[in-house]
Amino acid sequence: MTLFAALASVVFGAMAKDTNHERWLYGLKVFAEFMVIGLVLSWILYFIP
Amino acid sequence: MQADEVEPAPGSAWFTGAAAWFVPGLGHVLVKKWGRALLMGGAVWICFFVGLAMGGHLFDLSSSDGSWVLLQVPPMIANLGTGALYIVSWLLDHGFADDPAQAARATYEYGNTFLLIAGLLNYLTMLDAFDIAAGRKP
Repeated sequence: MTLFAALASVVFGAMAKDTNHERWLYGLKVFAEFMVIGLVLSWILYFIP
Repeated sequence: MQADEVEPAPGSAWFTGAAAWFVPGLGHVLVKKWGRALLMGGAVWICFFVGLAMGGHLFDLSSSDGSWVLLQVPPMIANLGTGALYIVSWLLDHGFADDPAQAARATYEYGNTFLLIAGLLNYLTMLDAFDIAAGRKP
């Protein structure tokens, strides 16, 4: 999941925004969102039989 | 009120887009965006080979388990996004087998997802290269 989040956020970050600083921030934000949402969904599904 | 007129893209932009689809990263190389070529193309290549290494399945229109062939079309379109990687795998018949032992691997579904995402990411990469070549993006 981490590798997937990293690869996807690299592409999203590279093609979005105008400056390198904004791209870095956006890529990190997307990466964090992938990780947090993935972990939250995992815990929710863990309790569903 | 009239909509803004969109300038038609030059032929070179279409060629760049096609090259970007066929070889992930090549489109950005053609427009001399080396960093993006490395990052975006590299992400697609890594995604594809990690997916294959995990035992992922590439989709085509054949369906050996009797399921409806049209159900194969959406994932096949996603897989096709990897361009030459998909075509070479198809020619070598690598990754297309419906093998129950392969499907039983713990990483099988992860591999499928990586292969699908590789293609979808390359579609994004292709559009980015096209926009740069057409002068719509710096």
